[in-house]
Amino acid sequence: MMTLKDGYAKFGGDYESVLSRLRKEKTVQKFVFKFLNDQSFETFEAMMKEENYDEALRAVHTLKGICQNLSFDRLFESSNAVTQALKAGDTEKARALMPKLAEDYQLLIKVVLECKQTMEE
Amino acid sequence: MEKQKILIVDDSEMNRDLLVDILEDQYHIIEVDNGQKALEILEKQRDEISLVLLDIMMPELDGFGVLNQIQHNQWNDSFAVMMISADDSPENIKKAYNLGAFDYISRPFDATIVQRRVSNTMCLYARQKHLEELVVEQFIENEQNNKLMIAILSHIVEFRNGESGAHVLHVNRLTELLLNQLILHTDRYGIAPSDVPMISIASSLHDIGKIAIAEEILNKPGRLTDEEFAIMKTHTTIGADMLSSLPAEQHDFALFGAASEICRWHHERYDGRGYPDGLVGDAIPISAQVVSLADVYDALTSERCYKKAFSHETAIRMILDGKCGAFNPILLQCLEEIAPIVKKEFSNTVVNKDSIQRSSKKIDYDRIFSGQINSYDSQQQKIKNLLYVDSLTEVFNRRYFDEKIQNAENIQAVAMIDVDNFKTVNDTYGHAVGDIVLHSIAQALLSTVRKSDAVIRYGGDEFAIVFYRFPAEAFEARLERMRILISEIKVPDYPDIHLSISVGGVYGSQPNKDVFKIADQMMYKSKQVKNKVSVCFLDCNKTCQDEPVESDRKI
Repeated sequence: MMTLKDGYAKFGGDYESVLSRLRKEKTVQKFVFKFLNDQSFETFEAMMKEENYDEALRAVHTLKGICQNLSFDRLFESSNAVTQALKAGDTEKARALMPKLAEDYQLLIKVVLECKQTMEE
Repeated sequence: MEKQKILIVDDSEMNRDLLVDILEDQYHIIEVDNGQKALEILEKQRDEISLVLLDIMMPELDGFGVLNQIQHNQWNDSFAVMMISADDSPENIKKAYNLGAFDYISRPFDATIVQRRVSNTMCLYARQKHLEELVVEQFIENEQNNKLMIAILSHIVEFRNGESGAHVLHVNRLTELLLNQLILHTDRYGIAPSDVPMISIASSLHDIGKIAIAEEILNKPGRLTDEEFAIMKTHTTIGADMLSSLPAEQHDFALFGAASEICRWHHERYDGRGYPDGLVGDAIPISAQVVSLADVYDALTSERCYKKAFSHETAIRMILDGKCGAFNPILLQCLEEIAPIVKKEFSNTVVNKDSIQRSSKKIDYDRIFSGQINSYDSQQQKIKNLLYVDSLTEVFNRRYFDEKIQNAENIQAVAMIDVDNFKTVNDTYGHAVGDIVLHSIAQALLSTVRKSDAVIRYGGDEFAIVFYRFPAEAFEARLERMRILISEIKVPDYPDIHLSISVGGVYGSQPNKDVFKIADQMMYKSKQVKNKVSVCFLDCNKTCQDEPVESDRKI
């Protein structure tokens, strides 16, 4: 069985930090699971494909904000890097950073899903 | 207490949910996901909202756009805006502050800190608003008190002068109108619109120096002799001197400066033919120039002890024709321009001063100072002020009796009157009705005496009447008339109340104390029967009479 704390260790987050800020384990859990439904990453990818960089920036910026709030440190780093690149208008760099972002995102989703499953059992 | 409302504006549902989770226990939350929707909510219900939490990066309209609109519409006096953004770069924060944001919350959100910041901001904002309101309130109250004090002061002068209290108000208003008009024409006098009320208030003091002028000169109906006029003129310098003898720290106030100028120079004329200093042209301070014109207009259109009132049109013509001395041509132009307003505003007050003063809720200084209350006109010549009038019954009070009657000479006859069963009226119908009854009785008594006689409320339900030079044969009949009149009084809404008085009358000159004592005895005699008049005629040759000649009549 995997606890949320284990999950945070696995996908590169700071569980202590998020717990201290949101105060209750239940609250942390609620929002971490809610993140599974968040569309920011999908929107970001779609907008990059359409080369709509303004909207892509907004989406990845939002993703970054959520990561910050939930102490998803590793995903925060990669989303922040893309945000900075897009803000600077460096779309090439942003594209180059995308695989890392996708990797971190997929890992996090996978781990959170695992946590959810074990908890629901 | 109802929860305060917070509007959260953020395009990320996750972020909104986080804030809602942190704040929903203490506040009522409204959420929108873009700036446009935020403005729509604020447009309709900003009065209910205490705080806006605003993200910067949003679709439709971003956070800066929202701030811009809030500032543009001047909405932020009812709520505070706190920015929330993942991107708290110094430029963004500065920009937000410049656009009127009150504070910002940075990510990541810490529940405790967010709660504290939000509640502190709301408290601070509410307190600031409350303080602002307090300051405004106090300012207005101070302003009103100032005006009242100055009106009272200036009225003291006018009262001695026999002028109506309207003069100060008129000069105030004319000064204000003239100055506002003057500002439209020229800025050469350096008057700011904010100076106008101050100068207008200062104008109230223009004649304070008259307090030092003898009443015989002040109120002389005919033409003043050269000598008298010379004395009269000194009211200008006396007024200015009175002000300059105030403590030095008060000299710095703008009001003080204006008042001093106005006192000293409101009789100067533009051609140098005025007084006291014979200043020419704009050597006369503009405040004094304006007040002198206002003063002249109102003097012309008012009745004074030495002249009748001129019509508005005549007054304006006389001034423009130079009949009242030379004035600044620009001011004359201003006067012509404001003439229609002046005519409209002032004509009301001239026609029927009494009804205007009573219908408008203005303080009626005339009445305060002259003690003229219409219903006792017959006594007014003896009343100098409210000291001697009983406020409930509007006849003389005990103080008047003690100070003026007890040692008065020439009292021919007195009557003591006691209201029968007054206590029953009070006990049965209440004191409010009792008051009405006393007033009705006092007024009825007043209606039966001559102007030269005095009706006095001697004590609770006891009245004394003093007659000067009264024919003996008519005395008893007069008291009888009183008794009958009182018995016929109907109290509105209380048909069951029947009133009567017991009257004790004494006719004849005697040391006053004894006269009242005997009248009292006679009254008690009547009281045994009630609704009765007992009269005794003293033998004028004897100094004291143990057995007065009585002429009782049982009813």
